[in-house]
Amino acid sequence: MAKIALGCEPVVGSLTPSKKREYRVTNRLQEGKRPIYAVVFNFIDSRYFNAFATAGGNRVTVYQCLEGGVIAVLQSYIDEDKDESFYTVSWACNIDGTPFLVAGGLNGIIRVIDTGSEKIYKSFVGHGDSINEIRTQPLKPSLVVSASKDESVRLWNIHTGICILIFAGAGGHRNEVLSVDFHPSDIYRIASCGMDNTVKIWSMKEFWTYVEKSFTWTDLPSKFPTKYVQFPIFIASVHTNYVDCNRWIGDFMLSKSVDNELVLWEPKMKEQSPGEGTVDILQKYPVPECDIWFIKFSCDFHYKAAAIGNREGKIYVWEVQSNPPVLIARLSHVQSKSPIRLTALSFDGSTILCCCEDGTIWRWDVVASS
Amino acid sequence: MRCDAHNDLQSELHCRIERNAVLSALPPAMSALKTSTSASGSDPPIGGHQETGPSGKAILAVIDSLKKQVASDRSIYIKKRMEENTEKVLDVTKNLYKLSMERRNFKIICGDGGVDLLAKRQKDAIDMHSGIGTSNGDNESSSSQEDGYAPSAILLGSSIAVKNAVRPIKLPEVKKLPPYTTWIFLDRNQRMTEDQSVVGRRRIYYDQNGGEALICSDSEEETVDDEEEKKDFVEYEDYILRTTIKEVGLSDLTLDLLAQCLSRKSCEIKGRYEDLIKNDNAMCRVNNGNAEGFVNPYIDKDLDAALDSFDNLFCRRCLVFDCRLHGCSQDLVFSAEKQVPWSSADVEKEPCGPNCHRLVPDSEGNASVSSKQTNFEEKAATASNTSAMQIQKKKQGGKSVKIKSKSCQSESASSSEIKPNDATSSVKSASAGKSGGDKRSSKRIAENVLVAKKKRQKKMATSDSDSVAGSGLSLKDLTLRTNSRRENEDIKSTSSRKSRRKESLVLDFDKSLQGEADSGASNESESNQPMAGTGDTLKKEECVDENMYKQEVIDNKYWKPFEKALYEKGIQIFGRNSCLIARNLMSGLKSCSEIFIYMHRSEKKILSRDGDGTILADGCLKADGNEIVGGGARRRSRFLRRKGRVRRLKYTWKSAGYQSFRKRISERKDQPCRQYSPCGCQSACGKTCPCLVNGTCCEKYCGCPKSCKNRFRGCHCAKSQCRSRQCPCFAADRECDPDVCRNCWISCGDGTLGVPSQRGDNYECRNMKLLLKQQQRVLLGRSDVSGWGAFLKNSVGKHEYLGEYTGELISHREADKRGKIYDRENSSFLFNLNDQFVLDAYRKGDKLKFANHSPDPNCYAKVIMVAGDHRVGIFAKERISAGEELFYDYRYEPDRAPAWAKKPEASGAKREDGAPSNGRAKKHT
Repeated sequence: MAKIALGCEPVVGSLTPSKKREYRVTNRLQEGKRPIYAVVFNFIDSRYFNAFATAGGNRVTVYQCLEGGVIAVLQSYIDEDKDESFYTVSWACNIDGTPFLVAGGLNGIIRVIDTGSEKIYKSFVGHGDSINEIRTQPLKPSLVVSASKDESVRLWNIHTGICILIFAGAGGHRNEVLSVDFHPSDIYRIASCGMDNTVKIWSMKEFWTYVEKSFTWTDLPSKFPTKYVQFPIFIASVHTNYVDCNRWIGDFMLSKSVDNELVLWEPKMKEQSPGEGTVDILQKYPVPECDIWFIKFSCDFHYKAAAIGNREGKIYVWEVQSNPPVLIARLSHVQSKSPIRLTALSFDGSTILCCCEDGTIWRWDVVASS
Repeated sequence: MRCDAHNDLQSELHCRIERNAVLSALPPAMSALKTSTSASGSDPPIGGHQETGPSGKAILAVIDSLKKQVASDRSIYIKKRMEENTEKVLDVTKNLYKLSMERRNFKIICGDGGVDLLAKRQKDAIDMHSGIGTSNGDNESSSSQEDGYAPSAILLGSSIAVKNAVRPIKLPEVKKLPPYTTWIFLDRNQRMTEDQSVVGRRRIYYDQNGGEALICSDSEEETVDDEEEKKDFVEYEDYILRTTIKEVGLSDLTLDLLAQCLSRKSCEIKGRYEDLIKNDNAMCRVNNGNAEGFVNPYIDKDLDAALDSFDNLFCRRCLVFDCRLHGCSQDLVFSAEKQVPWSSADVEKEPCGPNCHRLVPDSEGNASVSSKQTNFEEKAATASNTSAMQIQKKKQGGKSVKIKSKSCQSESASSSEIKPNDATSSVKSASAGKSGGDKRSSKRIAENVLVAKKKRQKKMATSDSDSVAGSGLSLKDLTLRTNSRRENEDIKSTSSRKSRRKESLVLDFDKSLQGEADSGASNESESNQPMAGTGDTLKKEECVDENMYKQEVIDNKYWKPFEKALYEKGIQIFGRNSCLIARNLMSGLKSCSEIFIYMHRSEKKILSRDGDGTILADGCLKADGNEIVGGGARRRSRFLRRKGRVRRLKYTWKSAGYQSFRKRISERKDQPCRQYSPCGCQSACGKTCPCLVNGTCCEKYCGCPKSCKNRFRGCHCAKSQCRSRQCPCFAADRECDPDVCRNCWISCGDGTLGVPSQRGDNYECRNMKLLLKQQQRVLLGRSDVSGWGAFLKNSVGKHEYLGEYTGELISHREADKRGKIYDRENSSFLFNLNDQFVLDAYRKGDKLKFANHSPDPNCYAKVIMVAGDHRVGIFAKERISAGEELFYDYRYEPDRAPAWAKKPEASGAKREDGAPSNGRAKKHT
C-alpha cells in the first residue's frame, strides 16, 4: 500500500474494545456441511425486520429471530441443480409490496423468489458467470443490481424481469466484480468493486429513462433495449488487492480489501472531468486476521455500527461514524473457528448474525447493560 | 576531495541537527526565525555550515510546528466531515425508515386478498414461541399440518425438541449459460487506449480449481510499479514547503531538512518550490492581465487554432472525429499533389446572391486596377501628398517625432527596435520583427498600429487613389526596392503563419521612417535600405508603397484575422472565386463583393511584387508563395510541386506497381504482414521513404504523388469481378478501392438515387465486402461442441464473405501479457494481425469471436488490407447451409497450441497468420 502523504493521514481506530455493548452467543445453527456465504436481515419492510435469509450451497433459507435467542425456520428453497452454490441473497419487494428474495451464485442465474407465495417468481439468465453480490435499491426495492464474475454489474427490474443496464465496457471492471451497493439517497448512483483492486462509482442519471421504461415494459423482457454504461464517473484505487466489499455510508464509502482493515474514504470527484478525482481516506478500522477474500461486512439500519468477521471466527463491531472510530465489541467464542463470510446486524444492532465457512450460523445478542 | 569533505560534513551536520531537534526543546519561534533568515541570507557554501547549526534546529522547529498544525487541522477537518456526513446519514435513514413503515401497510391498501405466507409463517412462529413460553413444552407439534400450507416454522434453540422439518420448496432447474466475459460489440477495430493496458499493472489471477490467487507479474512490471510510487505533492506538503521557506528563507539546509521531514529527495523539494513560485507568478500575471482591461475573446481566436484542434481530432482516413482506430493527434500528411482549385463553369456566370460582386457595378477594386497605368505621372503628386500628410501627422502628435529621433540611432538592421507606435507608446521594445515566435506581442502591436491608422486615415482620403505600385520605375529603384523587399521577406519568413499581419507591421516601419526622410531627417536612419540617401525617386517609391499599405491597413481593420485566414483557405480550396468562398466559408461574415474587393487588393500587391520578381526571381517566388499560402511548410511544398510536375507516369498494372508488389508477397511469405502508416514524402518516394523502409506499399493516404513507384496501383479488372488471383488486389490480399482501382464500382441502393457512372463493363466489383460491410447474419448460440458457438442464419456459397473478426488492436507485448491470463482461463481471443498489432476480442468484438476451432473447418480467416488497414475477414471454405455452426482453423503455432486445438473444441483464437494466404495461393494457382 502506498505511503500516505502528509496531511492526508486517516484516523485509525484503536483495537481496545470500548465495552459500550456486550454481546453473548444465544444460538448456533448448523445448516449443512456447505459454506454459507450470505446472511441478511430484511430492512425493506418493517413487518419483516426480524426476518433474515441465508444463502449457501443450493439452498436459500428464511429465518426469524425470536426473543430469547430463538431462531425459527420459516421457509427453505432448494435449487434442483445440486451444483448450484448461492453466494448472495438480498431482500427486495415487488411494486405491490410482496416480499421477494433475490439470490444468485455460481451458476450466474438470478433467482427471484416470492416469499409471499413461496414460489419462484422469475429467473434471470444473462450473466456470463457466477454472481458475487446482489443488492436492492432501498428507495425502489424492485430494482436490484448484481455483481458478477463476468466483469459486469447489471441493473434489473425484478417486477418486469428486465435487464435494464449493464455497467461494463471500456471503463468497466477488469476482473471479477465482487461487491456492489446502491447509494442510500442518490438513486442514480452505485458503487462497485472487485478483483481489479478498484472501486468504481457509476451514475445512471443519463440512462434513467430506461429505468422508468422498464416499469411499463409489456413486451418480452429480451426485447428491452438494454444499455451499456461503459464509463464510471469515478475510479478509486484505495486498495492494492481484491476489494471484496464496499458500502456507502452517506456520501462516504466504507470498503475493505484483504489488508486487515476497513477503510472509510470520501470520493472527491471533479465535476468537469468524469472518471477523475481524488480519494480522501478519512478513517481506518483495523480488523485482525482478516486477510482472505470474500469476507464481507454489514451495517445496521442506521449505519451506526459495522460488523465484520475474520478468518478465525471472531467478529469486530465498529462504531462507523464516530471520530475517532470506536470498537464497540470484539466477539469470540471457543467453538467459532471457521472463517466468517458475512455478518448481519439487526435493525438496531442488538442482534448480530454471522454465517461461516463450516455451514454454521451464529446468533449474538446484546447483553442488557447492568 | 573538497567536495567529498563537504558532503561528509554536511551529512554529519544533519545527524547532529536531527539529534538536537529531538533532544532539545523547541526554541521560541521568533528568535528561530531571525537566526535562520540571517543564515540563509548569506547562503553559506562550506565554511558557513558552522553557524547554521542552531538555524537548522530552528528550521526543524518551524517545520515541526507546521506539521503539528497540519495534523491538528487534519483531525479537525475529519471530525467536521464525519459530523456532516452523520447528519446526512440520519436524514437518509429516517426517510428509509419511513418507506419501510409505509410498506407495512402496503399490502392492506392493495388488498388483493392473497395470503402473505411469509407473514403467516412469522405469526405461526411467534405463536408457537409464545405457546412454548406459556405452556412450557407440552405442546409438541402443536402447529404442524393443521393449516393448508404444509409445515410452518421450526423453532431452533428453544427448549422443545423439533420433530417436523420445513418442507423445502424446489426451485426448478434453469440451464445455465456457457461462461463468457461481458463484451462490447464493435463494428470496426479499435486501437487499445492506454488505460486498458495490462502491461505494468499487477493482476491477481484467482484459480478457481486450485483455490489460490496467483500474482501475474514479472520483475519488469515491478519496476514499473516502483516508478508509479512517485507521488505528487499534496496540498499540505505545499503548504509546509511554502510557509517554511517564507519564514526561514530559502537555503540548501532548509531544503534538506524539508526533504527529511517530508521524506522526499531535496532535489524534489527544490523543484517543487520552483514550480510553486512559478505558479504564483503566473497567477499574479493573470490577475494583472485581467486588471489591464477587457480582452475580446474573439480577437485571439484565429483559424489556425481552430484548425489545429480540427487536425488533432479529425481522422482524415476514416473521416470521423475522435477516431478509435487511428486515434487523435495523428501525423498530418499533406498531399504533394494539391488539388486544383475547384472551378465550375456554370457558377461563373450567375450572380451568387444579392451581394455578389457581379452586381456591384464599378467596384473599387476594378477602379484601382484600371488606375494602374497612370501612376507614373502621379508620382510627384503622391510624394507631395504624402509629405503633406507627414506634416499633418507631425502636428498631430509629438510622439511620433520623438520616436523618430530615437530611430535615428538604430542602424541598418531590421526596424524592430523602433516600434513606430504613434498611438500607444506603451509597447516599446518588443522584438516583433525579429522573433517570429512572439506572435502575441507582434499581433498586439499590429493592432495598435491599426488603431492609429484608422484615426489618421480620415485625414488622408486623397491618398487612396495613389495606391498603386509603379510599373515604370527606374532600374535602380527597382533594385533597391527588391532589396528592401527581400529584407522584408526575410523578416517575414521568420514569422510563421502570421506573415501577412506582420508584413503590414514591417511596412509601417517603412512608413514612419519614410516620414522622417521627408521631413528632412537623415536618410541613414532608413533601416531597410542599405543604400542610404538615394534621392527622391526612392522616397517616392516608398511613398507609393506606403500608401498602398495604408490601403491594406484599412482592409485589415475590417477583416478580422480569422476572417482573413478563412479567406486564404477559401483561395486554396476554391481558387479566386469570391462567390464560392462567400457561400461556403464566409456566409454571415463577408459578402461576396467584400471578398471580391479584398481579393483584388491582395492581387494588386502580388502584381507589384511580381514586378520586382522579374528582376529577382527568387524574391518573386518567395513573395508569391507567401502571399497565397502563407505558411513556411506549404510554401515549400508548392515550390516542390512545380518541380515535381514534370512528368506523369503512365503505367499498367503489369508494370511498376504490380511488380514491386509481387516482390513484397514473396518477402512476406514467412512473416506477418506489415502495418501501414502513411508517409509524408513530398516527392516520389526514395529510399528514405518510411513506407519503403517498412516494406509496405504507399497508399492513397500517403503524401507522395500518385506517380510514386511504391504506390499500390489497384487493378483493372472487369469481368473477373476481382474474385480470383488474376486481380492484383485480390492476389495481394487487399480489397479493391474505388479510389485506386480503375474499374471497380458497385451500385448502391435500388438505383433511385442514381447509378454511379459505370467504369469498364457492367460488372460490379466483388472485392469490397469488408469495406462495404456486406456481411452475413451471424447468430450466437450454444455450441454443439463446447461453450458458445457462431451460427450462420442463411446459407452461403463457397468463398462467400461472412463477416469480420473485430477487436481491440493491441501490441504484441500487450498480447503476451494478456495471453498469460487468457491461457489460464483456456479461452483466448487473440488474433495475430500484423507485425505491430494483435486483435483481442476478449472484451470488445463481435459474434464471430465465438466461432470455434476445428481442424476440418467450414470457414477460413484471412487478413486483408482494406483502405490501409489490416482487417480479418471470415470466409466460407465450402458451401454452408443455413443454421450451421461456423468453425475455422485457429492455426495455433504447433508448439504453442493448447491440447484441445487438435480436436474441435472450445473457443479461442489463431496465433499465426500468413498461412491462410499461402494456402489460398496454392489452391488458386
